[in-house]
Amino acid sequence: MAPQPAPQPLASKERSLFTQVVKNYENKQYKKGLKAADQILRKNPDHGDTIAMKALIINSQGNTDEAFALAKIALKNSMKSHVCWHVYGLLYRSAKNFEEAIKAYKFALKLEPESQQIQKDLALLQMQMRDYQGYVQSRRAILQQRTSWRQNWTALAIAQHLAGDLVNAERTLTTFEDTLKGVPPKTDIEHAEAVLYKNAIIAEMGDIGRALEHLDAAAKNNPDRTSVMELRAKYLLTLGRNEEAAKAYQALLARNPEYRAYFEGLEAALGLDRSDIKAMKDLYTDYASQNPRGDAARRIPLDFLEGDDFREAADHYLQHMLRKGIPSTFANIKALYANTAKKDTILGLVDSYASDGPTPMVNGSAEKQANGDAELFGPSVRYFLAQHYNYYLSRDLKRAMKYVDELLDLAPKSVDYHMTKARIWKHYGNAQKAAETMEKARTLDDRDRYINTKSAKYHLRNNDNGAAIKNMSLFTRNEAPGGPLGDLHDMQCIWYITEDGESYVRQGKLGLALKRFASISSIFDIWQEDQFDFHSFSLRKGQIRAYVDMIRWEDHLRDHPFFSRAAIAAAQVYVKLYDRPDLAHGSLSNGVNGAKMDSAERKKAEKKARKEREKQEKAEAERKDAKKPAAVDQNGEPKKEDKDPNGELLLQTPEPLLEAMKYVNHLLENSPKNIHAQQLAFEVFIRRRKFLLALRTLIASHTISPSDPTLHEQIFRFQHSLSRLSEPLPPKTMEVINAEFNDLLPASTGLDKHNDDFLQKHHDSAPHVQACLKVRQMLDPSSSEKAQQDLIRTLALESCSLEDAVRGLEILEEWKPEPKYKNDYIAAAHERWPEASAFVSKKQD
Amino acid sequence: MDIRVLTSADIPHVQSTNITNLPENYFLKYYLYHALSWPQLSWVAVDVSRPKKTPYDPPKIVGYVLAKMEEEPVNGIQHGHITSLSVMRTHRRLGLADKLMRQSQRAMVEVYGAQYVSLHVRMSNIAALRLYRDTLGFAVEKVEAKYYADGEDAYSMKMDLKFLREHIEAEEEYADEGQEVGDVGKNEEKKKDGEEGKKKRKVKLGRGLGVGELVERNESKA
Repeated sequence: MAPQPAPQPLASKERSLFTQVVKNYENKQYKKGLKAADQILRKNPDHGDTIAMKALIINSQGNTDEAFALAKIALKNSMKSHVCWHVYGLLYRSAKNFEEAIKAYKFALKLEPESQQIQKDLALLQMQMRDYQGYVQSRRAILQQRTSWRQNWTALAIAQHLAGDLVNAERTLTTFEDTLKGVPPKTDIEHAEAVLYKNAIIAEMGDIGRALEHLDAAAKNNPDRTSVMELRAKYLLTLGRNEEAAKAYQALLARNPEYRAYFEGLEAALGLDRSDIKAMKDLYTDYASQNPRGDAARRIPLDFLEGDDFREAADHYLQHMLRKGIPSTFANIKALYANTAKKDTILGLVDSYASDGPTPMVNGSAEKQANGDAELFGPSVRYFLAQHYNYYLSRDLKRAMKYVDELLDLAPKSVDYHMTKARIWKHYGNAQKAAETMEKARTLDDRDRYINTKSAKYHLRNNDNGAAIKNMSLFTRNEAPGGPLGDLHDMQCIWYITEDGESYVRQGKLGLALKRFASISSIFDIWQEDQFDFHSFSLRKGQIRAYVDMIRWEDHLRDHPFFSRAAIAAAQVYVKLYDRPDLAHGSLSNGVNGAKMDSAERKKAEKKARKEREKQEKAEAERKDAKKPAAVDQNGEPKKEDKDPNGELLLQTPEPLLEAMKYVNHLLENSPKNIHAQQLAFEVFIRRRKFLLALRTLIASHTISPSDPTLHEQIFRFQHSLSRLSEPLPPKTMEVINAEFNDLLPASTGLDKHNDDFLQKHHDSAPHVQACLKVRQMLDPSSSEKAQQDLIRTLALESCSLEDAVRGLEILEEWKPEPKYKNDYIAAAHERWPEASAFVSKKQD
Repeated sequence: MDIRVLTSADIPHVQSTNITNLPENYFLKYYLYHALSWPQLSWVAVDVSRPKKTPYDPPKIVGYVLAKMEEEPVNGIQHGHITSLSVMRTHRRLGLADKLMRQSQRAMVEVYGAQYVSLHVRMSNIAALRLYRDTLGFAVEKVEAKYYADGEDAYSMKMDLKFLREHIEAEEEYADEGQEVGDVGKNEEKKKDGEEGKKKRKVKLGRGLGVGELVERNESKA
């Protein structure tokens, strides 16, 4: 073992200077701190602790690399100093490398087992990393240092609870309770919450009887009445004490009659079955009459009533809403359209309102309203119909347009009507007219951010990123670094960044697209880090149930569709880059798809790109010159400069599939039941020749949706790849594949036959037919011409949607069709969707 | 639309609703700070009828109220504060704002003993002013100059919650017999609370609310 450096004592003057440095650091007086540190180092140049403190300060000033270098020197000088190890841990923590930070803290703690600070810092990281066993140990150690603090007991209970040791978690809470002298006052929120937390743990153990007893005994005067009442109702119902449960749910409904969970509880407690129409109707009629302004008691019966009962209730409901001119009536009703009979009934009713007007009100009390009603009723009926015919389950865009145009004649300045009209254009497939109309709506109320948001979104759908950000900038803090877009990043505006990225994908600007999707991923990183401060904050606040709820949510944070949508899109771009590396080359990649340009065009584009770059660099330089205060993030820490604002570096990756894997891993871990995630993972694995992993995605997709068209195609591609291996796979691998794959594609049936059978079975669904045609093309490339003709025929399928047709065109283009077929396809599609820009613009070239 | 208390899992969509509707926006962490400090006070309106596309689809939030208690109340008088409230344009006129606000106010009184609730509104935002004053029963207390980051003034509005306190007390008396009590919050019972002449404080808002300062600085030291 190498000799350890001797401890490094300081003279008393330097000792007090060192204390000064620590103080300066804590008070963020970095310059003063550095000065004092340098003063010590002049006399004691190797003093490890001082160098470590200097590193810490320099890190706080934003120079991470330099800080780490210094910290290493410090450690070399004083291997045995807990200060140096602690600082090393702090640096790793600030660099978000929590695993290394934990190691460093553990070293520090070994050298200084009594340090509460190190122990605490270690505990926080263990919690952040979900090292529950380690966390239990740390919390126990902290508790032993100070047993009088309730926080320390609660914290140990949380650690035990999350580690799955419910019995000891409860015991820990009880041990502290036993030390209390007398019942704390009602205003002691920490106590009130600890009682309910304990109750939650008892219930989690499954002993509902005891949970109820505990609740009744300990939480009678708990200030969180809603929680107590909800728990009580739930426990009573679970225990089959239905009469009391019914009362409990009635009491809850008296407080909040707009919560379906309460109604469901009440139905269950009353032993009602949704087929017992009479009793169900009575229940809801009763609640409706108690709450003249309530919605739930009127709306819920529409879910379970059928036939004439439904007609009567729907008539009542619709007239009630339409008389009041409530523009959101359709939004509140449309879910019923999943049931065709109900959809038809609703249309019949609203059509009759359009022709006959409202039924006179039965109770004459509303006389005064009558005039107002008539004025509101007509337009609301038409507005309802416009939305009805615009909705995908009842779409007839011509009629929708007719109604909305009539409305606009009456009220040419209505934001809502313009908005609906824009949506109709969107469904026509005309992104440009949709964007123009939404822009019109925006100008009618330019202080309303909702309509501003919509118009920006429609500009993005129309691939007009400039117009979009210009609109957004009316509500952003434009002096933020990076301008309006920078502010939208800071404010974690997921929808905009995602739509912006998707728009760049459509335009072939893949670098910018990757850049945006990476931003989404980094926002999720921030959201994951956000919990860190609450590990200590929540103990002080004492709101433990909310904290545990947050922890459990953070555990599956990235299953959010905000994440999976961007992650799938990003990985798809990387797959595309793998297939066509040319898309990454030349900074043209962020301009036009370079394939078709001749050299003159290319030069022109290159020149343009260079100018653009120079302009940006100049602007960036000017910004820096202006000596604006350095930008900081939400925790007040300096922000790192973005050296790749256009995603060029992302685009140039030599390993696009490995980049894709970063997203795929998150997707498979967090959203395994999302079939799009599985299918995307397949595309990556099959290219990486990871056959077992690819097979696993196929099996997963099959479990989610056995007759999914993309799955069908991927099964065949899997088989195709296997059949053309240059070298055989290891026998073990083949064994697994043979055992599993047969379920997906039985070897006994011929490939063609299997595909034909599938086609036969799904012959009226465009996506399925498209998938089968792709498979046929792969099995027998000589059949291409027939496949192209068949693809055109899918356009005539009744169920073929505009999106299907657009995808069909992409498939056709991949086949490098004869111009004749492409023209035929576009002509047929144009005839069916005359307004769709996808088939208009392309027809011209 | 369900009206229920906000949980952490709702926050991404609440944040999204906020930045869709309003100019004052916040980091996710600031929503967490509300949800983890006063978990009973923030509420959401949820469109429960939307069919899920994947098992991971979170509830569709169409409106929310984000609320807190004043952390250091002047003279120790507990009071609540509405940080943000909005409802999607597609779901307006369903009375959602009113319903959200009532639930939040009740919890302020019940859990934290709030005497009144305050909020700020841009002077130019006539629609919001009407909602708070005419529908929800707030009264303008004063004008706070240059309250917003862009220099606009704010109305500081206030609503006394005495009527709720009385209502809750009455309810507690009846509670044992399981009797139901009428509708909460009759407008005419509200009156302006002008008693405590409060000193003007520096208020940080919107993005100025650095979360780092909300949550105590890390106590680590070497």
